[in-house]
Amino acid sequence: MSGIKEILTIIQSEQRKAVLEHEAKMILRKMGIIVPPSTLVKTKEEAIEAAAKFGYPVVMKLMSVEVIHKTDYDAVVLNLRSEEEVKSTFDDFMNRFSSVDVAGVLVEKMVGKGLELIIGTNTDPTFGPVILFGVGGVMVEAIKDVVFRLCPTTQPQALQAIEEIKARVLLDGFRGTPKVNKEELSNLIVKLSELAWEYKEYIAEMDINPIIANEDGLFPVDARIILK
Amino acid sequence: MKARLEKFFNAKTFCVVGASTTPNKPGNVVAYNFVNFFPGKTYLVNPKGGELYNNKLYKSVLEIDDSIDAACIIVPARYAPLALQECGKKGIKNIIVTTGGFSEIGDEGIKLQQQMLDIMKEFEITVIGPNCLGLYSPALGYDTMFLPDSKLKRPTNGPVSIFTQSGAFGAAFIDQLSRLGSGKWVSKFISYGNASDINETDSLEYVGQDPDTKMIIIYLEDFKNGREFMQKAREISLKKPIMGIKANRTETGAKAGASHTAALSANDVIVDDLLNDAGIIRVITWDQLEDCVLVFGTQPLPLGNNVAIVTDGGGAGVMASDMVSDCGLTLAKFSAEVQKKLDDTFPSFYSTGNPIDITGSATAEDYRIALESVYDDPNVDSIVNICIPVIPDLDIEEYIKITKELAKRKEKPFVTALVGGEEADYATAELLKDDLPAFESPGRAVRALGMLTEYTKYLQKHSVDPKSIKMED
Repeated sequence: MSGIKEILTIIQSEQRKAVLEHEAKMILRKMGIIVPPSTLVKTKEEAIEAAAKFGYPVVMKLMSVEVIHKTDYDAVVLNLRSEEEVKSTFDDFMNRFSSVDVAGVLVEKMVGKGLELIIGTNTDPTFGPVILFGVGGVMVEAIKDVVFRLCPTTQPQALQAIEEIKARVLLDGFRGTPKVNKEELSNLIVKLSELAWEYKEYIAEMDINPIIANEDGLFPVDARIILK
Repeated sequence: MKARLEKFFNAKTFCVVGASTTPNKPGNVVAYNFVNFFPGKTYLVNPKGGELYNNKLYKSVLEIDDSIDAACIIVPARYAPLALQECGKKGIKNIIVTTGGFSEIGDEGIKLQQQMLDIMKEFEITVIGPNCLGLYSPALGYDTMFLPDSKLKRPTNGPVSIFTQSGAFGAAFIDQLSRLGSGKWVSKFISYGNASDINETDSLEYVGQDPDTKMIIIYLEDFKNGREFMQKAREISLKKPIMGIKANRTETGAKAGASHTAALSANDVIVDDLLNDAGIIRVITWDQLEDCVLVFGTQPLPLGNNVAIVTDGGGAGVMASDMVSDCGLTLAKFSAEVQKKLDDTFPSFYSTGNPIDITGSATAEDYRIALESVYDDPNVDSIVNICIPVIPDLDIEEYIKITKELAKRKEKPFVTALVGGEEADYATAELLKDDLPAFESPGRAVRALGMLTEYTKYLQKHSVDPKSIKMED
């Protein structure tokens, strides 16, 4: 887990509460969590190179401390299938966000469709760090199919939490959707609960949403961490 | 480490500070309780001096020529800091402060409570309260409940320990238990009020390790030490059932945060999930608590989910079946042998499926056959015995006798619902006299079984045999 504290300390020293997605994913990788391959690029050439390396389709996301809710600003473009599309998206970002402080563009291997889950953490005034698991995606707050546990949690606790959501049947393969690997999912819950617990002096809230579960596995495709 | 409350309950010398000579005043009641029931030595303190209940009234604790293990301070709030300080000087380390008028009344009280905290720190005193009923244990003759027995009836010794944030809740619940069945229910009662020191987590720790406590009932409005409470509860709930009310459910909604997780973090949603994870059976209404005492206190845990229902009324059976499904239980499928016996014995207009409906033609003998058959069926984990006693051929005395015999076997949980008027009330009272669970509606009876089964499922999930949970040694 070496290096996580350093990343968090640097962000704090910049008087920032929002950890940018590429930084959050770096932290996740350091926790041993597998995230889709991605690179932060500064130039169009680097973007093209990264896309070619990962293979199409790719996703491009603008990284800026001024653009936290990326989808609200159309700062996430999915399913880019060619060098041309990567180039024009890069240009479009640079035009539209010319007046904001841009840290770079995150080029990421696109993850195929699947079931969208969420794992998040929060600092509860009564219980301290708690972890949430449930049905993810943009509708998460409307659906509210989630379950909480104390951080840090154990694998048996996480496995039980998984069985407590109302939509648990979706995890077992529902109308042709692939089965979710619960062992892997519970590992992910445990690791994130450990992250929130170990770094409770720094981390206030965290959303790993969505985590896409498909035939290839579990993929945290967006990560948001808010510091204290 | 020994639980901090142990030193209170293990006291051999006890001092009542503020013993009053005016009948029924709090300081008078507590003095009476200790002088009459406490097996250790009781000292009474009142600055006026004199005598009370043939015991000397010391003008100050400092005059007592003995070491004091624990004390109860029952003086007006403004005198409490001074009384506490004198106890501190005397070297008393365990003190119950029942008096109200502290943090619960606002600024002035908060100041007073802070003064108390400073004194506690200086003299290393452990305090229960202020603003509480303190402690009650019938077996130990320990009773700081300052309401006289003529008003607040005391239940006698039994398997249940209770701890409560609200004193009024505690008083009412204690009074209720005194008239529930034999009244033999209570092991330890802890009312910690403002929780200036001893709180819910200390209370849980104590009753968790107390060998005389077989089940735990809680009433909380908030947590002083929520994280540790949940961690301790996870361990204790594998050895004895914990159930109760966490009120104040709408207290705080989720704070708008930057994340979805923060937005979904409503206080009660988290509390509910954590209680569930810790194996605490959460009930919402007051009546459910008494039902908990009746079923957990008197019946074994079911070993599975399968319920048999016997009824003389179709509607009652249907409603009970609905509640079976609402509680996550299932209707048992009788074994071939039992099914054949029922089919062969009963007339064709009786319904011999589950629920077994022995109709308005039922006799006490029909009840006996139906109930004994399902009780002995290995496919049945628990039994609901429903009776609407208005039917013409039912001998109620005989029915009561049969029901008592089965409910006392205690191999499987057996609950009874008696629906109706005078005769139903009479039969209910007869069963309750023997501490057998009887309810006035099928739904309530099934719901009680549901709580028992919920606990079984929790234990089984954690690889604990439900048979290891016993109310008696």
